[in-house]
Amino acid sequence: MQRRRHRARALVSPRWSAWQQGVRLVAGALLLLAGLGGCASLVPQTMALREAWPAGVARSSENAAVPFFPQQDYQCGPAALATVLAADGLEVGPDDLVKSVYLPARQGSLQVEMLAAARRYGRVSYQLAPRFDALLQEVAAGNPVVVLQDIGVGPLVNWHYAVVVGFDYPAGELYLRSGETRRLALPFTVFEYSWKRGGYWAMVALPPQRIPASADAAGYLAAVAAMERVAAPQAATLAYATAWRRWPDNATAGIGLANRHYADGALAQAEATLRQTLAQHPDAVPVLNNLAQVLSDLGRNDEALALLDRAARVDASPAVSPAVSPYAAAVRETRALVLQRMGRSR
Amino acid sequence: MTTAFKKMMCRFLAVALITLPFQTGQASMIGTDQVSSAATVQANRSLVLNHLNRAQTVSEFQALGLDAQQARDRVAAMTDEEVGKLAGQINAVPAGGDGLVAVILVVFFIWYFAFRR
Repeated sequence: MQRRRHRARALVSPRWSAWQQGVRLVAGALLLLAGLGGCASLVPQTMALREAWPAGVARSSENAAVPFFPQQDYQCGPAALATVLAADGLEVGPDDLVKSVYLPARQGSLQVEMLAAARRYGRVSYQLAPRFDALLQEVAAGNPVVVLQDIGVGPLVNWHYAVVVGFDYPAGELYLRSGETRRLALPFTVFEYSWKRGGYWAMVALPPQRIPASADAAGYLAAVAAMERVAAPQAATLAYATAWRRWPDNATAGIGLANRHYADGALAQAEATLRQTLAQHPDAVPVLNNLAQVLSDLGRNDEALALLDRAARVDASPAVSPAVSPYAAAVRETRALVLQRMGRSR
Repeated sequence: MTTAFKKMMCRFLAVALITLPFQTGQASMIGTDQVSSAATVQANRSLVLNHLNRAQTVSEFQALGLDAQQARDRVAAMTDEEVGKLAGQINAVPAGGDGLVAVILVVFFIWYFAFRR
């Protein structure tokens, strides 16, 4: 889209293009005015906020300490990302991020890369649920939120990243670090209109010891697993530990933490974590398998074999058909390894 | 499809065919991503597909002006799911860049005074 616009700009005379833009502007304004009557369809979530304000969220909140990096050229992606990273004291500026999020030929940054780049800095990138209440919850908790807006008018598409740092519902405004404006105040209606076209996309990037206010366990743990790919191992360990404290009965959190301990060679800690998880999830095959592996590494192959038999029984139970048991192969492999270590063939 | 991409795809397939079925780690811990991913059942089936998606996205990044090392690094920071969504779509997904808020300020003002929340 952007490339096409550029070509068009080169072909037509400046005056023609200015006139065209003027027509588009007026058309856009008329469209909006026409929409005022039927606002509900234009800004459904703002309308819904009138009926019910999200429970437990303050009516106004602002984190004025969030730094500001004025964007250069088309680089609002690096600027927005630097804003949220530096908000937690990381010493990083837009220039450091250009090489990891800016795409020269697109003159912009992709959403996927905004999420991916923050992981390199040991931050857990979490994409928010596409709703106002999730956004407001994060901002009220002091977490700056990167949002994708379409600030074009009518047929003009113009994608832009900004950072929401505050809002004042009685005044009807949200406050953003945006472009070259340190504190841009946008009405809820206008903001939603620009936010809607990107599918209400929003993300936070928080240090591993802080879980996003609106996060759910499954989504957050997937985000941590994504970070684990590229971040320093200690960051992932800390994130799993934090998640496990927050959701103590979540098996994935326990498995994640135990896997980190195992990778660090802390077998005793891995065993303790897995045993605690197993107590709550006696039929969890991944927990049985991994605990068996840890015990086997500790030289306790008999105990390991007993656990693997238990895992095989769960997999063979009528509730789990072999076709859908995704861990059967791993269990067989672990079993073969344990038997080999015991000097047995079966 | 470019020849360069085809070449890379062939290399990847060759490597994948040789290495993937015979992967034998010492430890057989079940990974966290395997447990947390919703599509666990398909994990094995899509293993090769992931490699292809990554190769494709790297070459697409290069076509968009990144050098080879940068392109690889950037794709490496994405999850399999993210790469899967991006592969082949790189010119269709939004790329946020502009900050020309002034263009729509006029419209903003009209609305601003009529409706704020």
